[in-house]
Amino acid sequence: MNTKILLDENEIPKKWYNIQADLKTPLDPPMHPQTKKPVGPADLEPIFPKELIKQEMCQDRYIDIPEEVRDIYTLWRPSPLFRAHRLEKILKTPAKIYYKYEGGSPPGSHKPNTAIAQAYYNMKEGIERIATETGAGQWGSSLAFATQLFGMECKVYMVRGSYDQKPYRKMMMQTWGATCVPSPSPDTNSGRAILAKDPDTPGSLGIAISEAVEDAATHDNTNYSLGSVLNHVCLHQTIIGQEAQKQLDMVDEKADIVIASAGGGSNLAGLCFPFVKDKIDGKNPDLEVIAVEPSACPSLTKGMFAYDFGDVAGLTPLLKMFTLGHDFIPPSIHAGGLRYHGMAPLVSRLHADQLIDSTSVYQNEVFDAAVMFARAEGIIPAPESAHAIRVAIDKALECKKTGEAKTILFNNSGHGHFDLSSYEGYFAGSLVDYEYPADLIAESLKKLPVMS
Amino acid sequence: MIRIGFVVNPYAGMGGAVGLKGTDGRVQEAIDRGAVRESPVKAIRFLSGITRRDIHFFTAGGEMGEDELVAAKLPHTCLYHPDRSYSDEETITTTAADTSAACQEFIKNNCDIIIFCGGDGTARDVYSCTGAETPILGIPTGVKIYSGVFATSPESAARLLSQWNGSSCTDGEVMDVDEEEYRKGNLNTRLFGFAKIPSSSIPCQSCKQISCGDDRQATEEIASFITEIMRDDTLYLLGAGSTTGAVAERLGISHTILGVDAIFQGRIVGSDLNEKQILSLLGHYNRVKIILSPIGAQGFILGRGNQQISHHVLARTGTDALIVVATEAKLRNTKSLYIDTGNPEMNGLFGDTIQVICGYRMAIRARLNKEIILSGSVPGG
Repeated sequence: MNTKILLDENEIPKKWYNIQADLKTPLDPPMHPQTKKPVGPADLEPIFPKELIKQEMCQDRYIDIPEEVRDIYTLWRPSPLFRAHRLEKILKTPAKIYYKYEGGSPPGSHKPNTAIAQAYYNMKEGIERIATETGAGQWGSSLAFATQLFGMECKVYMVRGSYDQKPYRKMMMQTWGATCVPSPSPDTNSGRAILAKDPDTPGSLGIAISEAVEDAATHDNTNYSLGSVLNHVCLHQTIIGQEAQKQLDMVDEKADIVIASAGGGSNLAGLCFPFVKDKIDGKNPDLEVIAVEPSACPSLTKGMFAYDFGDVAGLTPLLKMFTLGHDFIPPSIHAGGLRYHGMAPLVSRLHADQLIDSTSVYQNEVFDAAVMFARAEGIIPAPESAHAIRVAIDKALECKKTGEAKTILFNNSGHGHFDLSSYEGYFAGSLVDYEYPADLIAESLKKLPVMS
Repeated sequence: MIRIGFVVNPYAGMGGAVGLKGTDGRVQEAIDRGAVRESPVKAIRFLSGITRRDIHFFTAGGEMGEDELVAAKLPHTCLYHPDRSYSDEETITTTAADTSAACQEFIKNNCDIIIFCGGDGTARDVYSCTGAETPILGIPTGVKIYSGVFATSPESAARLLSQWNGSSCTDGEVMDVDEEEYRKGNLNTRLFGFAKIPSSSIPCQSCKQISCGDDRQATEEIASFITEIMRDDTLYLLGAGSTTGAVAERLGISHTILGVDAIFQGRIVGSDLNEKQILSLLGHYNRVKIILSPIGAQGFILGRGNQQISHHVLARTGTDALIVVATEAKLRNTKSLYIDTGNPEMNGLFGDTIQVICGYRMAIRARLNKEIILSGSVPGG
């Protein structure tokens, strides 16, 4: 039995899968932040290209991947599907564990799957510059990589805490020609307002989004780009799951459990949506799809399904999603990533419709799993990806107890080479197991954290 | 340049090895039983571990610090000389009054911190001079170490001092242990006060984001969250400490810093309550929550300094009434959290972990230890 299951370059999917076509319940429309009325395409045009707005609202099941985008995908796609033989052996489990590895892309994660597509559509519509935010740097470096391939400028607002502590991500962006500034920055009104209030703030993803949106809205020929959450982002990532389905077919396997970590939701969407389609269609009705969140930021597991802003300043449209409240800022020293307050509306809808389960895990348990995986399989996973590994291992251990030979598939969405300081903290025993005190929050009906 | 007051209680710890469970008032007896001095050795271990050079020591003569600084070859100024500063091993030469007098000199000479070698008794003597003004740090050399002002070892004290920025501080409880009762096997502790202790300014963990937040800001965040979740149909018992004090401050009410207050609908309905008063109050309210902060480095949530929250009280409220609050800086100095209600069955109702609110809408899952060791060796110390 092979360890790697590989596809040829000509087998890169030609279409993205749009799960909106198969939803049991249609998505609630995004609402305008001021008027609270449904947002129309014209409202989004100041910051997004028309083609992406179309994709955001499109109900077609499949959308063609432009040839130029597929051509760039060949730099690292199709990505390999691995059978984790050595991990199975260590766990002594009858389960068959497979993982899709997205860490082989130039920026080292799944993020360029959408960065390339977004940069392409912006370029086609004559946009010369893109503004975006980044937390740990995976998205910023992916968009930097993508924009330079199309000769565009890129401005990245990087959460200041990361900017100070992760010089290598910053240098990657610089290498690919992007301008990266710490957020909050003096370059925007929202950044200046926060700096005036708290000059030493470490920043947050919500603040950085506010700055990038403002930058796009106030600069000529500049658009905004988001690395997760939105429908078109989830759409572009479905290339992962479509490849994985073909690869499992090659070895006559059918997934029983599909697992991915969930921050904003795009890596989960990417692997899982094509499999959720099989569940909806009745081809694989017993399939278990699991979103894994950090205990510190469990929006699907502990949040409310309601309209909320995507950013701190309330500049973005209101999205119906599972959220902990747009003003919720997870602890800045949480090492496991996945720190966004909300969840992609598509993932939220599927969770509400009980097609996707969710669970949350503590970060020390996540790093236990990451280290076990690295020692078994060699790859040092990103802390985000290790959330999925944790639950894959737990499921494999359940199989050991029951004797079931289930087929488990998870998304190993990136490598952890820029996250070794988090590993250092784990080995030093200094990682704290944060948790969202949902019961205490729920016991008071005052001051609900979200818009209704 | 950081100015350090350094004082050694040369007799601390002597009682432990010869079965006296403490040396307060029993120094001569310890000496007669053949006890040897532990403080000087540990003091030198501390001094030898110091790596920074931007410090100057102020100390007391002879065995109260000067000898150790000479042995460690560290620059110092002697500000106080006890009447009999040198002795052989068989005579008592210095007393608690000398510790206090030395500390007064350190304060007069604007020391940034007072570091002392001793146990709970010495901590109480030092704190009686400093109050919550000058930071203090204890090097554990005594028999009883129940206060939250001690480093875990001489070496960790040296590391903490090497990393200290000269201003970052958190609160540490000073405990008053009844030594006579302790010798009988009864741990009877009283919260004596809250001292300022240095907190490390280095990040507590490597991470995706930035270093640890400021302790004061964290306290405010905790207070903000707790006041946000307070309900009008619930009686809140607010335990001792500055973190719980911040909750009271946010509510605009005065709080008994060393005791337990009862709050209903934002107003005090009982101050500095004892167990009987609490039990009586519980009869009038259907829903009760108890907000407590663990006691300093020793990590006691229940059983030390707040015995009025007894197992009888918990039997009425249920263990899920407990809301534990603490800043991350405090938890960093606390290896384990302990529950000792005095009733093993009640202790058993708590799980292996407990949620500790550490910020606004944020908590930490902390390990909970229910096996209490009553001996000279302090749990978590």
